Amino acid sequence: MSEPILQVQDLCVGFDHSQGLVQAVDDVSFTLASGERFGLAGESGSGKSTLALSILRMIKPPGRIASGEVWFAGRRLADLDEDGVRALRLTGIALVPQGSMNSLNPVLRIGRQIADAFADHDLRLNRGEEEQRVAALLADVGLPENVSRMYPHELSGGMRQRACIAIAISLSPRVIIADEPTSALDVVVQRQVMATLARVQRDLGAAVILIGHDIGLMAQFVDRLAVMYAGRLVEVAPIAEIIANPRHPYTRALIATLPSLEKRGTLTGIPGLAPPLRDLPPGCAFHPRCPQATDRCRIERPVVREIGRARVACHLA
Amino acid sequence: MVPLIEAVDVSKRFPGRLGRESTLALAGLSLAIHAEKPSIIAVVGESGSGKTTLARLLLGLAEPSGGEIHYCGTDLRKLDRDARRAFRHDVQAVFQDPYGVYNPFYRVDHVLTTPLRCFRLAASRAEARQRIGEALRAVGLQPEEILGRFPHQLSGGQRQRVMVARALLLRPKLIVADEPVSMVDASLRATILGSLRQLTDEHGISVLYITHDLATAYQVSDSILVLYRAHLAEAGAVERVVRAPRHPYTQLLVSAIPRAHATRDWLEQEEHSGMSGVAPTTAGCRFAERCPHAMPDCLSAPPGLYRTEPRRAVACVQYRDYAILPRGDPGVVLSA
Repeated sequence: MSEPILQVQDLCVGFDHSQGLVQAVDDVSFTLASGERFGLAGESGSGKSTLALSILRMIKPPGRIASGEVWFAGRRLADLDEDGVRALRLTGIALVPQGSMNSLNPVLRIGRQIADAFADHDLRLNRGEEEQRVAALLADVGLPENVSRMYPHELSGGMRQRACIAIAISLSPRVIIADEPTSALDVVVQRQVMATLARVQRDLGAAVILIGHDIGLMAQFVDRLAVMYAGRLVEVAPIAEIIANPRHPYTRALIATLPSLEKRGTLTGIPGLAPPLRDLPPGCAFHPRCPQATDRCRIERPVVREIGRARVACHLA
Repeated sequence: MVPLIEAVDVSKRFPGRLGRESTLALAGLSLAIHAEKPSIIAVVGESGSGKTTLARLLLGLAEPSGGEIHYCGTDLRKLDRDARRAFRHDVQAVFQDPYGVYNPFYRVDHVLTTPLRCFRLAASRAEARQRIGEALRAVGLQPEEILGRFPHQLSGGQRQRVMVARALLLRPKLIVADEPVSMVDASLRATILGSLRQLTDEHGISVLYITHDLATAYQVSDSILVLYRAHLAEAGAVERVVRAPRHPYTQLLVSAIPRAHATRDWLEQEEHSGMSGVAPTTAGCRFAERCPHAMPDCLSAPPGLYRTEPRRAVACVQYRDYAILPRGDPGVVLSA
């Protein structure tokens, strides 16, 4: 892999609450190489989407970045003013937000919504150039040209999701953050959308952060996987390694939730519920659900350690 | 034996408005569910394949445009007052959205006490409490953690399990569960599907499990129906249909599931799956335009339903050497 394009260092994001600050992202660090596909997996409420939004500085009050830094292409995002961050979105880092297929404006034609990005980033194009670029973007994501004149309700879910990817790549970003881009789609359409994302990502040489909880999808798409639990990264490792040899008990449990197509009646869940963020258990946050928890896990919070090519936060790894 | 619920060649067409063409949501489907042989039947297909329409028809929430739905041998439209009441009791529903089904102003107890009151199933308050407690414990919930709370105080998984408990409370004969786990986390999916399996194994309740997730269908169900664009593509014992799919669409579905322990060639296989979202233009097989095995015959007329194995029916001309089933009757292959 080449030089890092994005660095997240000791990032803490919290939500102000009557009983104090609720840590949704707790001391998260990772580095993303150019062109890399990075996965971020965890249950709902583990802080995945909050992490994505804070990378783009899109966290709104009562949420705020409490500490830590995000570096993009050698620039510290905290040093940019609001206009600077705004200019960086789409050109530097683009987000395909969760449920984005339902976030298209229902009363604007698709072409108009794509072209909005050009106007917002002060690209002065005449109508002909604009139409040309919209058509090229639609072609990039495998949509026919006439989609440009259609309204969102005229498209299927998969087509809407592709239109959202077209918006995300409209200004050739270096990093694409895709937050559960296919969670509402069936498997056949999911594969089409992911293949589209993979292709445009390769063409642009962009890195991708894929957020989701389907380990099967992660195994087939990303190069490296980070597993998040209760706001912390509990394990980061190359995907083949993490599937073959998961070191954190939570990673193991998450992989085990994947329904097998080989043997029936083997569906397993993870016992218990994710802990509420404002009242985390002491020690390792996973210990109440962990089958191997020891006394040490109940008292001492594990720090992230390097084990081979993996980074793991577990006393037992 | 008279089946509990039987769909006889049902179809549903939604009329077009404002000059649009009408939409065929379900075409000539037949299905029989027998009360004496409780099992889980999965219905899988992409969005728009007619899964939810089938559920609504079986629940009596929509009327078929063609064919009939029978409850204990009587057309749903001709049930008298008592029979309709019995039908409402015997057939229960669990819906997709565990957030939308609750009235946020009522405590969750409300959804549990209302059916008991309506069907006069408990003689006293104490008995009602006891039955509610039993139902909650049967789906793995502690009554003291649930009762007296408002819906927003429960997690999505808890809410969905309360819905399963509500269905169980009535001791129905059939539960129609429309995408019951698509909105809950993977870690909880197993628990909820486990509760459904328990309803069948321990309480003798049949479940119609409607889902777009073939992998969980394989895990919990006994038999399966695969729908594609309103038409039945394949039906049979789940073990055979998923492990050795015969219909090209089922084959595509199985191959499109991303797997963790397989070779990493999922994205490369994409090129072969064809474009979805293109409306079929011919009168023939709905899948023909995406099908790698399509032949001229496929475009001219819809395929028959061929019985390739005792418990297997496939709607594809590749299997025309096998016996043809009388116009869409997967009942025999599903209940054999």
